[in-house]
Amino acid sequence: MALNLIRKLMISSLFCFTAASASAETFVFTAIPDEDETKLVERFKGVADYLSSELDVEVRYIPVKSYAAAVSAFRNNQVQLAWFGGLSGVQARRLVPGSEAIAQGVEDQAFETYFIANTSTGIKPADELSSLEDELRGKTFTFGSKGSTSGRLMPEFYIRDVFGAQPEDFFSRVGFSGNHTRTLRLVEAGTYEVGALNFQVWEKELADGNIDTDAVQVIWTTPAYPDYQWTIRGDVNERFGDGFKQRVTEALLNLDDQKLLESFPRSDFIPASNDDYEPIRKTAEEIGILD
Amino acid sequence: MSGFDLTGLTASFGGERVIGPLSLRVKQGEKVALVGKSGAGKSTLIRLIHERVNRESSLVPQDLGLVNALPVFHNVFMGQLDKHSTWYNTVTLVRPFSRDRDEVRKLLKELGMSEKLWIPTASLSGGQRQRVAIARALYRNAPVLLADEPISALDGPMAHQVMELLRERFATSIVALHDVEMALKYCNRIVGIQDGQVALDETSDRLTASDIMSLY
Amino acid sequence: MLSSPTVRTSLIFVAVALFSLLFADIAITASNPWRDLGNFFLGVITPNFFSSEGLMTALLRTVAFAFVGVALGSVCGFLLSLVYRFLPVRIFCAFIRAIHELFWALIFLQFFGFHPLTGVLAIAIPYSGIFAKVYSEILDEVDPEPGRLLPPRTGVIAAFLYTRIPDCWVQLRTYTAYRLECGLRSSAILGFVGLPTLGFYLESSFSQGLYSDAGAMLILFYVLIATMPLWVRPRLLPVYVLGAPFFLGEGLPIVWGNVERFFTEDIVPSPLRDGEGLGGLVPWLSELMVNEALPGIWNTVILTQIALVATGILTLLAFPLISNHFGGPVRRTSGHVFLVIARSTPEYILAYILLQLWGPSMLPAVVALALHNGGIIGHLIGRQTNTIRLRPDAPTGFNRYSWELVPRVYRSFLAFLFYRWEIIMRETAILGILGIYTLGFYVDSAIQNIRFDRAMILILITALLNIGIDTLGRYIRRKLALQTMPTC
Repeated sequence: MALNLIRKLMISSLFCFTAASASAETFVFTAIPDEDETKLVERFKGVADYLSSELDVEVRYIPVKSYAAAVSAFRNNQVQLAWFGGLSGVQARRLVPGSEAIAQGVEDQAFETYFIANTSTGIKPADELSSLEDELRGKTFTFGSKGSTSGRLMPEFYIRDVFGAQPEDFFSRVGFSGNHTRTLRLVEAGTYEVGALNFQVWEKELADGNIDTDAVQVIWTTPAYPDYQWTIRGDVNERFGDGFKQRVTEALLNLDDQKLLESFPRSDFIPASNDDYEPIRKTAEEIGILD
Repeated sequence: MSGFDLTGLTASFGGERVIGPLSLRVKQGEKVALVGKSGAGKSTLIRLIHERVNRESSLVPQDLGLVNALPVFHNVFMGQLDKHSTWYNTVTLVRPFSRDRDEVRKLLKELGMSEKLWIPTASLSGGQRQRVAIARALYRNAPVLLADEPISALDGPMAHQVMELLRERFATSIVALHDVEMALKYCNRIVGIQDGQVALDETSDRLTASDIMSLY
Repeated sequence: MLSSPTVRTSLIFVAVALFSLLFADIAITASNPWRDLGNFFLGVITPNFFSSEGLMTALLRTVAFAFVGVALGSVCGFLLSLVYRFLPVRIFCAFIRAIHELFWALIFLQFFGFHPLTGVLAIAIPYSGIFAKVYSEILDEVDPEPGRLLPPRTGVIAAFLYTRIPDCWVQLRTYTAYRLECGLRSSAILGFVGLPTLGFYLESSFSQGLYSDAGAMLILFYVLIATMPLWVRPRLLPVYVLGAPFFLGEGLPIVWGNVERFFTEDIVPSPLRDGEGLGGLVPWLSELMVNEALPGIWNTVILTQIALVATGILTLLAFPLISNHFGGPVRRTSGHVFLVIARSTPEYILAYILLQLWGPSMLPAVVALALHNGGIIGHLIGRQTNTIRLRPDAPTGFNRYSWELVPRVYRSFLAFLFYRWEIIMRETAILGILGIYTLGFYVDSAIQNIRFDRAMILILITALLNIGIDTLGRYIRRKLALQTMPTC
């Protein structure tokens, strides 16, 4: 009985195996895991369906567990397209010559990071980070992921720039929560007193009523910088046919499914180029994340 | 090779000499009984001889050397591992061939334990284990038998039956025995060992039990 | 008492741990840790088994990776054990087992990517090293006498099969089965770096605070391990081993060029890659040592020493829970359940859970390591006390514990503890990935910044540190004449 079941399972999985290898030319993409996975999977399954219908090839989204894993998968040609942050995009394009940033959200031209604090710290919002120096010194602080632009690179840059110290010297304890949602939850719960996160995640959670504003508030906003973008490998045309890159670009720029756009949340996708992210590259080199 | 001439046999343990130097010449057809007090060096001598004849002998050591997890059949079959190819031996380990099965069963029948063929030796009694080691030596079928107290755990009739069998199957043998009567009955030459030296060497028809008792 | 070398050694280790505590970062930083812990337990008792359609697939993949990895590891380990007496083989095996499964997975992810081979090799490679060592120890224990009695021209293989294997077959089988259980744990945590096993979903549910989902996964995992004797049957094994490769999932295809690139470019130290030559290597290395390796080593050692002593204390507290000499059947049953849960939960998952609940510091790591390892050793020691026959008028209660039982089991307790010293250190290093500043933290950071040259050097340092501790542990065990069989 058990054997019979196992045999059936084996045969069916063998079938899946051959089916998968038959359609080897699947267009695969990924995204940096900057938010809760359930949200990401829901959002990018939608994108996969949309792209699949627009491009007439099978499109698959694979979730990854870290920013570096997204970059590696892109570099290793296991995915051909990725929704990167500013920093991970710069890293990826440096590692894959010929790859290009093809589209970004309208909001990504001028992205911001929010510094948030648990209200028990008594820290009041300020316009200048320098005016918060005394109150922030010696607090506990969490970044998002180690490879995040809005959750690590930019906040670290401003901490160093304004306070003239390494984060781990300035704060009593520095952590990496893993993603923006998690940063929000940890500061809200008081596990960390202060944190830095992607302003879009904050705004969306706020709009959805998921933030206890009595427990956590925004205390400072960084100046604007370029962030997220869709990046595609340079060799997709050889694999998927001439003009494929152009078709992907157009498909992304023409995406007007409001529900899908809101899930990012972006109002629209607009063209992007590698040069748009020069400021990010310079900042990363300055604080020693890029060689 | 069935008789041998060994000289300069020595063995030391912890810097102290326990055997020799001694010489021993054994002719084909001789059935030698080694007698002497326990600790006199009989077991060591048997080991030495075993090494000297390049292990070309059927050995029954005092501690039997059985593979406890294997059944009786395989322990006996081990006596002829050199006669077959590796794959034959490997297949036999999983599923013995009927020819070998019959042969081993016949042998065990003579030792009165053919019904134990598939019992792991770990679950046998002391006397049964001893008979398995003897069966292995018989199956090995070397020209010389070297046995160290092979009947110490066997009762009267079975002890005689085994000694008879050994005498019949091996032209030449060296058997350490503490039972003097047995030695006189089944061997034609008695070598007495005392403090690692040969203290007595006579054919058994010239000796009586009391002559030998002086060694003890 | 103080003149006893075992007591003196124990006191030295306690002193080292107390000294380490002065430098350790021990704190509960969460503002309301008990509420979170309460929510978590509420989640465990209200499990949601239907949260994700992927759950059953993840469970299947966890089992499949464990079977393929352990099977491959045991075959390779067995072959290695035959030549284990050669020093280069011993060094090689010590090296591959000194690197944790998760580190291996992180390495393979860089060039095999999300191909099943990544997970399989991540388990198989370190397990080969462990199997080689333990198998050879088991084989060496076998009585050599039957081998000496064989006819002189007996083939090597036949001699091996007839005289060595049968007498240690049961031990080999028991140990391999135990390793399969470890393999399930290893397989589960591989999900934390992105392989499609249980850890993948556990991490997602946990980080989103979906405790009922996480609870369901943990419960299924315990059931899977607890029922192993029922479904891992000798007759079914060939079916599992042959069938498992088909259940690994398809992953993504391997691009072989990446493998070459990884070894010829990625892991070459950047000064050499950029043509700065050896002159550039020295400052690069010293910068890496001062800023990452040394702090990492310091924290790893401190945490290991504290965790080791905490494990010891927990063991001594926990073994009476399952000992026949105390309490009634009800207490012992709940004691069993507690110890089974403690040792079945991988320390990585325990540490992850506690970190989420208590906030980041060394405390969750210490507690996780102590719970898991204390659960394992406590179980073994408790079972050992059950073989002790006390005189009828033996004292009861605490006197029985301190006068009759502890003195009798203390030596084996120390033996197990020193045996697990190296394992605790290997785990300590890996817990850095969760954000505690041990070596794993710096390895993870280097990988997150796509600097594999740095990551590889830090992994090498971790391996050497492990080998050092392993050697020291063995030296102490030999010095104190402590004997153990490698069943823990």
